[in-house]
Amino acid sequence: MPLLKCEHVSKRFGGMVAVDDVSFEIMTGELMAIVGPNGAGKTTMFNLINGVFLPDEGHIWFAGVDVTRFPSYKRAHLGMGRTFQIPRPFASATVQENIAIGAMFGAAGGELNVEEAMEVADQYIDLIGLKAHRNKPAGGLTPIEKKLVEIARALAMKPRLLLMDEAMAGMNPKDIDQMVTFIRHIRDVEGIAVVALVEHIMRAVAGLAERVLVMHQGAKLVDEPTREALNDPRVIEVYLGRQAEEFNAKS
Amino acid sequence: MRGTGKYLPIVPVLAAYALLLLYGVATPGKWQLVAQLAFYCALGQAFNLFMGMTGYVDFGYVAFLGVGTYGMAVTISSLSDGGLGLGIILIGFLVAAVFSTLLAMAVGAVALRLRGAYFAIATIGVNEGFRYLIEGARIWNGADGIIFSRHLKTALGRKMAMSVSTFWADIFVFGVAVLAAVLTLYYLRNKVGYALLALREDEDAAKVMGIDVTRFKIIAFITSAALAGLLGASGWALKLTYVYPPDVFEIHYTVEAIIIVLLGGAGTLMGPIAGGLIYGVSKYFLAITLPGFQLLIFAPIIIAIIVIFPEGLVGILKGKVHGTRLEKYVI
Amino acid sequence: MFFEQLSGNLVQGLVLGSVYGMATMGLSLIFGVLQVVNVGHGAFIMVGAFTALILFQSLGVPPIFAIPVALVIGMLLGMLFYYGAVKPLVSPSGTGIRKVGRKQLGKAAGVFVAVMIAMRILSGILDLNIAFSIFIAIILMYSFLVYVYGGRRQEKGPELATLLVTFSLGVILEEVVKQIFTSEARGYNWDLGKLDLGFTVLPLTKILASGGSLTVAVLLYLWFNKTRAGMAMRSVVEDSVGARVCGVNVDWQYALSFSLGIGLTVTSGVLLTMFIPVGINPYMGGGYTLKAFVIAVLGGLASPYGAFFGGIVFGLLENGSYTLLAALPGGEPFALTRFFSFVMLLVILLIRPTGLLRRKG
Repeated sequence: MPLLKCEHVSKRFGGMVAVDDVSFEIMTGELMAIVGPNGAGKTTMFNLINGVFLPDEGHIWFAGVDVTRFPSYKRAHLGMGRTFQIPRPFASATVQENIAIGAMFGAAGGELNVEEAMEVADQYIDLIGLKAHRNKPAGGLTPIEKKLVEIARALAMKPRLLLMDEAMAGMNPKDIDQMVTFIRHIRDVEGIAVVALVEHIMRAVAGLAERVLVMHQGAKLVDEPTREALNDPRVIEVYLGRQAEEFNAKS
Repeated sequence: MRGTGKYLPIVPVLAAYALLLLYGVATPGKWQLVAQLAFYCALGQAFNLFMGMTGYVDFGYVAFLGVGTYGMAVTISSLSDGGLGLGIILIGFLVAAVFSTLLAMAVGAVALRLRGAYFAIATIGVNEGFRYLIEGARIWNGADGIIFSRHLKTALGRKMAMSVSTFWADIFVFGVAVLAAVLTLYYLRNKVGYALLALREDEDAAKVMGIDVTRFKIIAFITSAALAGLLGASGWALKLTYVYPPDVFEIHYTVEAIIIVLLGGAGTLMGPIAGGLIYGVSKYFLAITLPGFQLLIFAPIIIAIIVIFPEGLVGILKGKVHGTRLEKYVI
Repeated sequence: MFFEQLSGNLVQGLVLGSVYGMATMGLSLIFGVLQVVNVGHGAFIMVGAFTALILFQSLGVPPIFAIPVALVIGMLLGMLFYYGAVKPLVSPSGTGIRKVGRKQLGKAAGVFVAVMIAMRILSGILDLNIAFSIFIAIILMYSFLVYVYGGRRQEKGPELATLLVTFSLGVILEEVVKQIFTSEARGYNWDLGKLDLGFTVLPLTKILASGGSLTVAVLLYLWFNKTRAGMAMRSVVEDSVGARVCGVNVDWQYALSFSLGIGLTVTSGVLLTMFIPVGINPYMGGGYTLKAFVIAVLGGLASPYGAFFGGIVFGLLENGSYTLLAALPGGEPFALTRFFSFVMLLVILLIRPTGLLRRKG
């Protein structure tokens, strides 16, 4: 049974179609990337999976439950975690408190009290290497540190599916490689968590994703294993705006 | 934050109230001032539970005090012949709390689904709306209000009634203040407080973290409203023995609550106490030296606080004691 | 007889509603451009009312000529308040406070003392109350802190902040007016005759007020759609980032929009007194704030035209309900009508918070 299943999902804003009849599945433990040019509808798709928007048409199943009309917090309880493109940790809360909030209210949060959540948070603080900043308000951190806090906070929720929105935007190649290793590590160790990325950066996509979903103008263009997708002429055309033969002829 | 240190911050709170009470008892000439200060602290603590902790502004807040006042007034004037003695006061408080909770549920059902600005708009007319409902439909004597001093004397005997309205009413106000403080500390130290912090900082991120924001907003809203009801029942009803609609639905009490919470530090435990004391004392002196000018002076101060010192006094204090031993006591 | 009365009340409602609508346009404009809810809205209407009153009573100027004066006063006030209190909270370029420590506070205290001394000297010449001096001193001290130690704001202030700031600005206006004019209710009498429609009688002043409101609404429409300045302002509503990319100075648009919104609101106070020339007192604004919000929500909070039509709908509903409620035994129709406005607000917020009119996609 797939962990996440989207079936004929569509979303319109006013007259504009942001997501157009998209269907796909994600299995437990899979690493997938959603890519596409700007305006392709990737973030909207994310928001639909996550419950920030509700679809106009179609269904979404998560862990066998029809979550199409569920609010975000219910989806979180079922095991969806998410990070944002521009990291937004709770600024006036400390790093420890931020992560503890993820633990307290996430999928495993039901039985945890505040003290236990703080202990769980400490484990994740060690994982991301921010022990020195444990009691500092998250608002004062650098963007990279904020990103790490957000990831730790999402992980503390013990998700089965982790949605990471442009997690590597603005990073240099070395940091990207480190992040890729980190994400693979999460998948291997936590086992059940699936990571679905939304990325422009081919280096990350190539290194990380087993499968790629390419979106274009709101619709699904291709849904293939990474190697095939990157060589697919349709994908090249969409990114470069020219016919593949033309491109090959010139190079 | 392990074990017994968790609820330590209640110590300075209790100390402050104890000192205030002692001062009032020792200097009978200043009792009215002390009672007024206690009222402001209680008002601040109750209001802080919602505005301070969720970041939503309820412009109609005074309505909860109003219906609480009516709750006590209606109980005493209806049940004075029942031979209940002091029990009538207890019932009055229960009715007050029920009334304000019911109003909170009614208003909350509509308003709490709405985001920040829309919520404020929805609440803007609550006090007006309710006042005009009472006057317009002639509920509970309509615009004439209820005078129940006679009923109180019937129920408790002349001497006891006197002592209730001149002393015990104010003691009850202290009680409401302490209750509000205890609840605030409990929320701050448990999951509720963190949920509220998250939704105050970033409501959308909070939802994605698994927080049912509406549920927590309701919890804070109803707690804050019920406390306001108890405050109205004690500080207004029992003290004055009458209730008059234009008085108890008067928006400037909401303004005062806002000033007190902002001055002291929204969302903190000690904040409303600091705010209540400073505001109360300033107002007292202003009333003597420059009557009628209080709002003129406080209004620009609110703006200054919001723009320059949004954390308020206790917020700044927290920053200063960070990393010291005092940190455990100041929240 | 009942239907005659009802239709008479409806016509009155239509005419009144257009004035209500005009009074709400400023509110919607400010929300549309800045996402700021002006909770002190009623106080600005009150300022317009007093402008008309003073010009008429002291200078014999008919209210119709008070309109441009009110507009100018309103826009100046709007600019002052925007740069003074609102900009630090909403403008992307800030003038937030960087750091206020002991040294800065010390200097600010120095400013306070200096201003107080200056005021004492001045009060030898002008008769100034000490409270007023304190008030001015606080304002100057605040301005000192904000503008001398201002810096780039890091993140958007919470919504709570602008609500309380606009609310406090309203309170300041009320108190200042109270100090100058006392809280006594005043009125003036400007009679131009009446128009008799058979089932109802309309004073010409009311017709003028209604016509004035309509004119303003039309002028605003033309401004937004036919002038460059107006279109620049509209672009900020649609997409502030895109607007900036096209070279629109968003900061200045914010200031201009706020100032225009306040100007419209103050002007509406004049028109309102042409309709109801009595009961002018510093606290008259309160009732209008609630009505304005009902109307704004009816018409769609961000749309000035929606506000105008919302006003008409509200005027009709209010007068219609008054007639119906007056026919009910046992109640007090005046108070119940005000309760009814509040219920209307809640109902609309519940079912259609974005307003009854659909904005063009």
